[in-house]
Amino acid sequence: MKTILVVDDDKSLRRLYKSELEAEGYGIMLAADGHQAMDLVNSRMPDLVVMDIRMPGMDGLETMGRLLREHGGVPIILHTAYSCYQDDFLAWAAEGYVIKSADLEPLKEKIRDVLHEHSTT
Amino acid sequence: MTPITNGGLGMVMGVVQSAFSGVSQERRIAELTVLYEVSHALQKTVDEDKALHTILLGLTHGRGLGFNRAFILLVDSDERHLRGRLAVGPSTLEEASSFWQPMRDTHSGLGELLSSLSQTGIKRDLVANEIVSRFDIPLSETDHPLIQIMRSHESCLPINGILEPSGLPVPETLVTLLGTSHFVVTPIYLADRDLGVIIADNAISRAPIDMTSLRLLEIYAQQAGAAIQNTRLYKELTEKISLCENANLTLRENQYHLLRAERLSVIGKMAALLAHEIRTPLVSIGGFARRLLRTMATEDGRREEMEIIVSEVSRLERLVMEVLGYARLARPEYKPLDINGLIKSMMVTMQEEIERNLIKTVYHLAPDLPLAQVDESQLRQALMNLVTNAIDAMPSGGTLRIETSAGEDSLEIGVSDTGSGISHEHWDKLFTPFFTTKVMGTGLGLAIVSQVIENHCGTLRFESIPDQGTSFHIRLALHPEGPQALSATSLVGRDQKVRL
Repeated sequence: MKTILVVDDDKSLRRLYKSELEAEGYGIMLAADGHQAMDLVNSRMPDLVVMDIRMPGMDGLETMGRLLREHGGVPIILHTAYSCYQDDFLAWAAEGYVIKSADLEPLKEKIRDVLHEHSTT
Repeated sequence: MTPITNGGLGMVMGVVQSAFSGVSQERRIAELTVLYEVSHALQKTVDEDKALHTILLGLTHGRGLGFNRAFILLVDSDERHLRGRLAVGPSTLEEASSFWQPMRDTHSGLGELLSSLSQTGIKRDLVANEIVSRFDIPLSETDHPLIQIMRSHESCLPINGILEPSGLPVPETLVTLLGTSHFVVTPIYLADRDLGVIIADNAISRAPIDMTSLRLLEIYAQQAGAAIQNTRLYKELTEKISLCENANLTLRENQYHLLRAERLSVIGKMAALLAHEIRTPLVSIGGFARRLLRTMATEDGRREEMEIIVSEVSRLERLVMEVLGYARLARPEYKPLDINGLIKSMMVTMQEEIERNLIKTVYHLAPDLPLAQVDESQLRQALMNLVTNAIDAMPSGGTLRIETSAGEDSLEIGVSDTGSGISHEHWDKLFTPFFTTKVMGTGLGLAIVSQVIENHCGTLRFESIPDQGTSFHIRLALHPEGPQALSATSLVGRDQKVRL
């Protein structure tokens, strides 16, 4: 079973993603901010990280930078309400960029694509 | 330029003294009266033509100096030619006497004539003005007698074939042109500035011209110099004042636009902030609603209500996207694009909505449309907004017409509907962000269209007739280097957005 770490500061959204992604057959780890995410990754490495960008403390881009430096190779999907970060070159390091929507299908699709790509390479 | 003082008093005294030596006192008094009236009239005019005309009338007035004809030649504004400017005088003796006769009976009559000038305008004497128009002497011809007279500041009178006092021979060309050797030339100047010359003659009566008349003529010339300078100063001043007024007006307009832009930018930022804040709870509400909907049995009566939540959240999400999209319009990327192709691919995505609203679509796409330098996603968004508005304007069906046409250096895209039309009172607010007449609208649709077209340095105009429909026309300039090149060179054109 593939494990996904979802990092989002919104409690309701964390609950939504957990339920929806577990229904897709993934194991879900949850973190409310960048520091929690780093701690979790240090104890157990997920197969994929779904990362919000705007978070208090360490934001998603900074967390992604640290994750890639310390645990290079883990694929990250940026998942945000903002389209503006798409132009930020830091965001290019991510495997995918999905804009948050009540319709979770685009996110699920991106997760499938990224996991598939990484299992074949 | 130097301002004018009332000079020439000494000269007047000289004239007055000499005047009483020979010719009758009555005659000299009449001459001085005319001179006084001319000076008086000159003080009241700021129009150069009228001032010159006044002087010429004084010179030819029967009770004044009584010259048959008088001509004024002035140095033109680029200081390269001495050109004939204006003339007064009859062409025959009969005309001359009939012209002045009625006025001899009353006092001088000149005062009335001069004040009537301002109402009736200037009546030009044809023959005299035909003659004056033939004077066109380059200032470089320094040996030309008229140029010499102007430069020397000394009047000349032909006596026995010699110009006195200069001693130069009488120029034959001048005699031929005037048709007489009974003439006199006096320079018009002010301080060290040479303005022109006055030529006066007695071509019809052939009466001899004496030195006293010459001196009086010089006073007229002096008046002429002062009047020309005054009217020019006045004109220059008026022009400068009007320039200042225009500058002030532009400044105020710019200030208004700046304030408006600033206000809109603040509104835009706040809207973007709000949109983001709304987005996260919307994802929660919509996400859980979808989740619950999936778990409901097909026969569950609450399913329909849950579907309403899902679809309403989707609508809110679209509105939020639109607001955020507006904030993202800033950086266009221009590439050559087939506009007809863009329209076709855009319309595919709109097809479902068009059919649902029972709308018929008519295309008139120019087959030979040249490629245009556009930002594809921006223009697609703009066209989509226009089509969406057209659909919304025809809730009970109608015809949507999309056309393209190519001009010499531009192409035009038209989107028309047969819908409700736009009420006249909304016309001036139509392109203002967040203005809407729809129940569920952001008021950004046309603001986006307007912004996109402005980004492309194009123009946008519309026509709308209530209950008949609305049509929007986008005109894009075809410039090989794209709108960037245009924006640098024709900023004026950008603001010429025609709104009917």
